[in-house]
Amino acid sequence: MTLPKAELSGPCSGLPVVVHAEHIHKHFGPLHVLNDVSLQVCKNEVLVIIGPSGSGKSTFLRTINHLEKIDSGRILVNGHLIGYTERDGKIVEDSERNIARQRMEIGMVFQRFNLFPHLTALENIMEAPLHVRKLPKDQAIADAERLIARVGLSEKRDKYPNQLSGGQQQRIASASALAKQPRLMLFDEPTSALDPEMIGEVLDVMKELATEVTMLVVSHEMGFARAAADRVIFMDEGRIVEEGAPDQIFSHPTSERTKSFLSKILH
Amino acid sequence: MYIFDWEVFWKYVWPPTAFQNPLIRNGFIVTILVSIIAQFLGLLLGLIAALAKKSKLPLFRWLSDLYVWYFRGTPLLVQMMLLFFGLGVTHIYDFPSIHIGPWTISGAIQAGILALAINEGAYMAEIVRAGIEAIDPGQLEAAKSLGMTYGTAMRRIILPQALKVIIPPLGNEFNNMMKTTSIMVVISAGELFYGFTQVNAVIFQPFELFIAASIYYLEMTTIWSLIQSRIEASLGERKGLDKGPSMVRRLLSGEGGH
Repeated sequence: MTLPKAELSGPCSGLPVVVHAEHIHKHFGPLHVLNDVSLQVCKNEVLVIIGPSGSGKSTFLRTINHLEKIDSGRILVNGHLIGYTERDGKIVEDSERNIARQRMEIGMVFQRFNLFPHLTALENIMEAPLHVRKLPKDQAIADAERLIARVGLSEKRDKYPNQLSGGQQQRIASASALAKQPRLMLFDEPTSALDPEMIGEVLDVMKELATEVTMLVVSHEMGFARAAADRVIFMDEGRIVEEGAPDQIFSHPTSERTKSFLSKILH
Repeated sequence: MYIFDWEVFWKYVWPPTAFQNPLIRNGFIVTILVSIIAQFLGLLLGLIAALAKKSKLPLFRWLSDLYVWYFRGTPLLVQMMLLFFGLGVTHIYDFPSIHIGPWTISGAIQAGILALAINEGAYMAEIVRAGIEAIDPGQLEAAKSLGMTYGTAMRRIILPQALKVIIPPLGNEFNNMMKTTSIMVVISAGELFYGFTQVNAVIFQPFELFIAASIYYLEMTTIWSLIQSRIEASLGERKGLDKGPSMVRRLLSGEGGH
């Protein structure tokens, strides 16, 4: 599978394309949750997807590491087809092992953190390096200590998740996703399960990361989108309604639906 | 009017005097060992059946359903006699004695262990399945998004957490198991109750003897309940589990009987 020729008019002119999604359709029963979604994310770009709940934005994010199957269309990450493979001219779902290998290059942070409750903070970060990448233990520990320091939680290394605040859990979850040294990070509403006073600490970690990895963020945090996003996408009813620089989307939206969504959420 | 023979009762309820009779002493040892081995094998069978039930392959799911359906839907007593006498008469397996060092495991004990384990596996299958299903689906998604295959995710993430859910009912199952070994008396497997029936065959004092026998089981289940409470308390402390019902409640409510 080769990288599709970057459309010169696309958003990534000249830059490598990290995520290339074209004509994605997905149904949940009668519900058309993704309706012809096409999108490119460029290297080192921070792209924030906003939209009302039920707009398909989380579902779209989850298709990128194949936690959700798609009905048609295709998704490439770093030029590799995700979740599917071509066999005898037909597109079929890829083997479990190949899908697992593809996911190793994509870090994901969930709304409800999903830390492993039976492991300490440091063990959570070491889990994938030790048991997926099969690194030697010394190296996994050293890497994990460096990552936990980076999210500012070295003193919590031996705590279990239920002994940490929501914000701390989310920072550990980010460190754990980063332990795979991913080239792409997906954040699925990373702050919406947090108490307001904890949102800031998580956003600070994300802003710092934004300088070095490609990020695709589904968020209600307009402040973060304004401060860190290179591009903002507005989705509604399974479609991309509008996209542009944060300033353009927030200050001069063109679509009526974007305007009405923003007026409800910004004030 | 019946006169209760306290002398016989005390002789057989007090282990130092009762164990002078090798039928009682060996029977006691057999009951303990059979309970542990059968429960362990039952847990393994239950784990296999639960994973088969969650398999993508319909054949495995179907076999798992069939196993649970048959062994929970028929009496253990019948299963045990079918296994021992049924297989014996067909010569599929004759249950020859197995010698391991100074120990001899009679065919009846082998059949007893097998029947108890297979029957127990059908109950454990449901317990293990419920344990796996009690784990937040987000855990499997998180494991997958870290690049784990289903097998690695089960082994590293799901089963260790499910174990905490499984341990309380597993303890109750073991409590039942110790009592249920007594039905091995129908295949003369030489466990504790068999010892008492043999003594009774000689002195015919069933009232005294069987009360004494019941007290041995009561002692075993009570001691086990104490151990189980300790295990659960230590699990709860370390991993923030809710505390289960107290030992007294557990003993008096007869939880988990089948």
